[in-house]
Amino acid sequence: MPQVNQTLHRAARAPWRWAVAWWRIVHFGALMLVLALSPSSYGAANRQAMARHIYLDTAPVLTWFTVLCALVSLVITRIVVVTALSYGLTQYALEMVIRVLVLELIPLTAALFVALRCTIPNGAELAQMRRRGQLDALRAQGVDPVASELLPRVVAGMFSVITLAALSCVVAMVLAYLAVYGFTLAGLPAYTRMFGQVFNPAVTLVFTLKTLFFSLAVSLMPMAAGLYESNPAGWRTSDELQGLVRVFAVLVLIEVVSLVGNYY
Amino acid sequence: MTQARTPADPSDPSLPSPPPVKNVEFKALLLLVFTALLVGASVLYLLYSRGAFETTQRLVLVADDSEGVVVGMNLTFSGFPIGRVRRIELAEDGNARILIDVPTRDAHWLRQSSVFTLVRGVVGNTNIRAYSGMLTDPPLPDGAVRQVLRGDASAEIPRVVSAAKELLDNLNALAAKEGPLGASLANLQAMTEKLNGPRGALGVLTGNDADAQKLILALDRTNTLLARLDGLVIKADGLTAKADAQVFGPQGVMPDVKAAIGQVNALLADTRESLKKMDAVLVEAKAVGANARVATEDLGTLRAEVESNLRKVEGLITEINRKWPFKRDTEIKLP
Repeated sequence: MPQVNQTLHRAARAPWRWAVAWWRIVHFGALMLVLALSPSSYGAANRQAMARHIYLDTAPVLTWFTVLCALVSLVITRIVVVTALSYGLTQYALEMVIRVLVLELIPLTAALFVALRCTIPNGAELAQMRRRGQLDALRAQGVDPVASELLPRVVAGMFSVITLAALSCVVAMVLAYLAVYGFTLAGLPAYTRMFGQVFNPAVTLVFTLKTLFFSLAVSLMPMAAGLYESNPAGWRTSDELQGLVRVFAVLVLIEVVSLVGNYY
Repeated sequence: MTQARTPADPSDPSLPSPPPVKNVEFKALLLLVFTALLVGASVLYLLYSRGAFETTQRLVLVADDSEGVVVGMNLTFSGFPIGRVRRIELAEDGNARILIDVPTRDAHWLRQSSVFTLVRGVVGNTNIRAYSGMLTDPPLPDGAVRQVLRGDASAEIPRVVSAAKELLDNLNALAAKEGPLGASLANLQAMTEKLNGPRGALGVLTGNDADAQKLILALDRTNTLLARLDGLVIKADGLTAKADAQVFGPQGVMPDVKAAIGQVNALLADTRESLKKMDAVLVEAKAVGANARVATEDLGTLRAEVESNLRKVEGLITEINRKWPFKRDTEIKLP
């Protein structure tokens, strides 16, 4: 009976915990925004940490992710072009490739990749630091751990998502052009015009906002979890898994909203 | 990477010691510059592809229906895009106004005589096309308003379907069992049976046996008539031979006619001789006429001489009268 009572008690508290967790994420996001816009956050010590995080979160994965994206883009482009050719709809093939790859798939993939590779491990690392009392030790030394430890990680995560998405989009566009027209500049005017038609102001705005929110979600949520989450023993098995699920849910939500914005 | 950043020992309250990265600030700056360049170049390319850096002129197309036209779609000329739809608005008169920006470098394809069409395909999007037949015409001015011609493939479908349905109905009515086609086929069958019957095609032509019988009788009588005509022709041949002998034979009319013609010829020769003599006489007469003219001229001279002599005699008499004593006093004395 005591066990049943305990389970019911936990179940009743779940919505409350859920609301508190989301409120902490929102609060943490606002805090990061304020800190990111404050010039005092870019002092010499912080700048060093930020440069290090930006470099270590982006540079090692940039090449591999770009190569991987290029391969997948090439395969998808080829499939779409060949299918369109067999249906006699070649004039729509390139537009479809750009809409599917550049607008939808690549930003989502970049965000997931950065989440798995950088920000969720960073969040777990932060949680460990918190549990070991390192953050409290920093506070005792008069150093704000939010500015010195969290802000560089958040900025590095956002920067990584934007860089990976931008580079992969450019590579995918170049590959799509080459797959359709080959190594010639003759198709460039038509390609440019089609590109301009796809990226009308509304689509461009949605694309920019989506990438921005992807980067925010991927960077903020694992850090907020690492900073605040009290992980009761036996209740959750892994911080990383829980963070991944939450991040993935938010990414899907943003993607759905962007699709609604683009096509309705 | 994550292994490299494992936290330090819990007993150590200091920060975890990060692995040293050489020139980390410079490398991070490079990355930032690279990303900024990438994003900046993408933005510039996007602006260029949207036509932000080209001067344009405005063209307004007026259509009664703008269905299928979307902002950003192309205006094509010979398959090449030369303009973009910027706005679609509803005019006061209920027509759709399609505002198109044409880059100045492509505007020379559009002339005042250009024709614009709005074509909606069954599959695929709508196309706005420009046709310029006379490229020597004056160029289209900025802000020109033109009516667009609509050619709608899908709008034709209901009409075609209704026409096809009508055609099928007509065909059904024709091919029905009691319809004209069925009746014609039945008649054709009856005719074929008649053709195969004892009277054959004659029975088909006349319609009944009695008439066919009459026709055959008429044919028989025609044959008899032809036989009699043959006899008549033979008789006419004999008659012609006789007439020939009477006209041209030795005892015929022709020799006499020939002799008469000879006599007429001799008569004509005599007449010719007589005429020649008449000619000689006429020549003589002409000579006589000429002599008479000369004589007449001599007579004129003679008369002139006689007249002058008479004047002299008259002058003599006048002289004698003057010199004669009983000359008359001609003076008149006034009282």
